[in-house]
Amino acid sequence: MPDTKGRRRRSSSLIYLEPPESLEQRSDQAALPNLNANWVNSKGAWSIHIVIIICFKIFYDTVPGVSQETSWTLTNISYMAGSYLMFHWVQGIPFEFNAGAYDNLNMWEQMDNGDQYTPTKKFLLAVPIALFLLSTHYTHYDLTYFTVNCLAVLAVVIPKLPSTHRMRFGLFSSQDD
Amino acid sequence: MDLQDVQALVKDYSATLSTQFQRLPGSAIIVRYIKNSYQNDPIRSAIELILFLFALKYLLSPSYSMQRGGQVELTDEEIDEQIEDWQPEPLVAELTEEEQHELERRPTIVGPTGPKVKLSNGRTVTNLASNNVFNFIGNDLLKERAIATLRYYGVGACGPPGFYGTKDVDMKAEADIANFIGVPDCIIYSQAFSTISSVIPAFSKRGDIIVADKSVNYAIRKGIEISRSTVYWYEHNNLEDLERVLADVEKTQKRKKKLTRRFIVTEGLFEKSGDIVDLPKIVELKYKYKFRLILDETWSFLTLGRTGRGLTEHLNVDPNEIDMIVGSLANSMCTGGGFCCGSKEIVDHQRISGAAYVFSAALPAIISTTISEIVGIMKANPEMLIALRENISIFRAAVEKSDGILECVSDIANPVVMIRVKPDYLREKGLEDGEDRLLQDIVDEVQAGGFLITRVKTVGNSQSEKKAKVVNGKVKKDSDEGHFMPCLKVYITVAHGKKDLERAGALVRSSATKVLGRKK
Repeated sequence: MPDTKGRRRRSSSLIYLEPPESLEQRSDQAALPNLNANWVNSKGAWSIHIVIIICFKIFYDTVPGVSQETSWTLTNISYMAGSYLMFHWVQGIPFEFNAGAYDNLNMWEQMDNGDQYTPTKKFLLAVPIALFLLSTHYTHYDLTYFTVNCLAVLAVVIPKLPSTHRMRFGLFSSQDD
Repeated sequence: MDLQDVQALVKDYSATLSTQFQRLPGSAIIVRYIKNSYQNDPIRSAIELILFLFALKYLLSPSYSMQRGGQVELTDEEIDEQIEDWQPEPLVAELTEEEQHELERRPTIVGPTGPKVKLSNGRTVTNLASNNVFNFIGNDLLKERAIATLRYYGVGACGPPGFYGTKDVDMKAEADIANFIGVPDCIIYSQAFSTISSVIPAFSKRGDIIVADKSVNYAIRKGIEISRSTVYWYEHNNLEDLERVLADVEKTQKRKKKLTRRFIVTEGLFEKSGDIVDLPKIVELKYKYKFRLILDETWSFLTLGRTGRGLTEHLNVDPNEIDMIVGSLANSMCTGGGFCCGSKEIVDHQRISGAAYVFSAALPAIISTTISEIVGIMKANPEMLIALRENISIFRAAVEKSDGILECVSDIANPVVMIRVKPDYLREKGLEDGEDRLLQDIVDEVQAGGFLITRVKTVGNSQSEKKAKVVNGKVKKDSDEGHFMPCLKVYITVAHGKKDLERAGALVRSSATKVLGRKK
């Protein structure tokens, strides 16, 4: 019979923690370097975030009829949405190197083997916060813009917290995953 | 000190501090920013401040690992102690009594193999223990052709098929097999054993579902293990149980949105028990529950069917209905390697993801040309199979007598005749333990009478294998492996005369009676 303990979640709970990997799974994870997550530590991977943000800003500025406030807010939202999708939504690895041993982990959890407070993780947390502070400043503290920006930044900051590591939320997934 | 003095000092200090601060580059921006951001809204400012402080705290926290129970710190003394305590096991474990016994009784063939072989003790015996069903080993045409190929192509490719290894004859051999079985495409692997254990993981990955027969052979078991798939086992050859498992899988899958690949894995002709599966029924179930079927024809290829095309021909099933047919070229074919055939997509996928195809050297050209030759011989001489069936039935009739103590458990078309002592008789005599020993005695007795036969010797039966299965004090269970029927195995070939087979059958019967009669 298949191993059902661990992956089965309680039918009523909205939150569940991804259980630790089995020995076999861990050895598969270690079989080859995780090319999906290792690049975040390499040269240029940090500065590209700044470059992308500037590109977003320039792009929204060129669109006619967009005010400075809207432009900053759109830049903020686009960056947050992109980084949420990349680091927290997509699970697994696109390559066939680890026999699917990372299938249940998103990229943030794969980075640095799940270690917390590593330099890259610190940088990737600081960037959205700095961007948020900047964009609220340039939207001249308008309440609507502030609320939108604030929600966007919370959406990417909360999943980065060590206490939400491997945590999953699900409304309708009552069955085992 | 007076209060005024203190005030003056504080004033003084704060004045220097503010001038120092204003001297800092960019300090004006910060001041403007803070002035701006306050904007008479303490709550919003508080949120921003909290966020800023949080980021600061995060940046200053020391990093730590989430891997729990990773390494244990040991002191030098503890390390020394561990080294002292460590008793290395011998690389090769000492032979157990049974293994020693088996080793002593193992016959050694001197010279070439064939229907008659010479043993190291100088006797010539009739060989009923090798898988030379159509005596291709003694075929002069094949030998000539092989020598001609050797002169032209040399020995081996010394490179994987995707990397200088593929030759024109290899591609022809693949096409010949595909054409022989009646499917669009075929891929040839270099080892029979690693064919199926490479085909399964090429398609089924972690999270996918495999439903397999409980008594599939060791190679399939390894393939399933490597694939990391979720396995469900069904009772050996029990299609009702298979249907129950399939329905169960479908039910649990329906509730989940995620779709996975799903496979049924079975042997066509079972290595362990010698029986065949009800293929039409399995094909029906596979369509009903939307599974793919991987059929291992290792033992049935060339031996079953009107012209040796395997189980599909034997049971009149269109081979295109089966997603992957895997077979061995090392058994009845007497060459080497294995094949997997199916649709073009199935085969092409394996050319880059079948581990044993990608990472091992291609077959020598001699083998490829021999494969093509043999396929030609099989197509041209379907009467060989009629002769084979006749030989099988002659032998079986000679072994099985209604009042005898032996029974043949293998399928009537299976050239590997598996004979066991009737369980009732064993129970009556109280000889259920040590059946292997009894069978070995029978084998020896038959050998003394001039016929070489063998018995079931399965990987996993030996003591060291059993020991290896115990991991961390727990017995590793991949399925119930209890289907090792202690049996005599007799390989019938077309090269044996009817008289010989009748005599052999009678000899097996009388030897069994003699050996068992000796016990009480």
